[in-house]
Amino acid sequence: MTDNQNPLSPHLQIYRWHISSLLSITHRISGVVNLFSLILIFFWLIVLSLGESNYELFLLVINSFIGKFILIGFTWSMSFHILSGIRHLVWDMGYGFEIKTANISGAIVIISSLILTIIFWLLGRGYI
Amino acid sequence: MNETRKWILHRISAIILAPLFFWVYFSLISLSTKNYQEAIYFFKNPLFLVLTTILFFIGFFHVKISLSEIFEDYIHNKKIKDVANILVLILSIIIPTITLILLIYKI
Repeated sequence: MTDNQNPLSPHLQIYRWHISSLLSITHRISGVVNLFSLILIFFWLIVLSLGESNYELFLLVINSFIGKFILIGFTWSMSFHILSGIRHLVWDMGYGFEIKTANISGAIVIISSLILTIIFWLLGRGYI
Repeated sequence: MNETRKWILHRISAIILAPLFFWVYFSLISLSTKNYQEAIYFFKNPLFLVLTTILFFIGFFHVKISLSEIFEDYIHNKKIKDVANILVLILSIIIPTITLILLIYKI
């Protein structure tokens, strides 16, 4: 093991990020975040079953600044993971592997996930 | 489970989950502006009860396959990896089951 000359890759301090690698790791991270959002929904149902006064308190937390921040973050994470997942499914079918196409589809995923999050909140909160 | 089957089931679960997640997020964001009675009324709807149950069972099935994939990449100690996988398996059975019980008996 002392003479191991293999390069360490990716060496994060000097690693030049590409849209492809950035999206790849974000897909994983957002997936794990979505697990926490599923647990939040589970918690939501538990509080709902505990009666009205507990639920009112929960609503207060959810509608606080931090609560909204977390919910908006979860919404973005879900939007991103689904859109990025669709990109992966298209790859699974054998399309879109050219570097240029992959870069463009990556950029589309990032921008659309942001737009989708905004649409969700405008629709869900009844602004539209 | 053999790996090819796992791969295919992972994709199928993803396709089922995508619309369900859109639905549940839209619903929760709008429920966050409404009161207790309306939330109860929402989850009492048989269609929404079924959708929420499917979301949890298939969601945690997807989580189980995905996490074991992640463990495969980052956990090198076989014993720890096995324990982690078993813990996730237990969680992904227990949480959806409790959800179903809550929805039917408690809400």
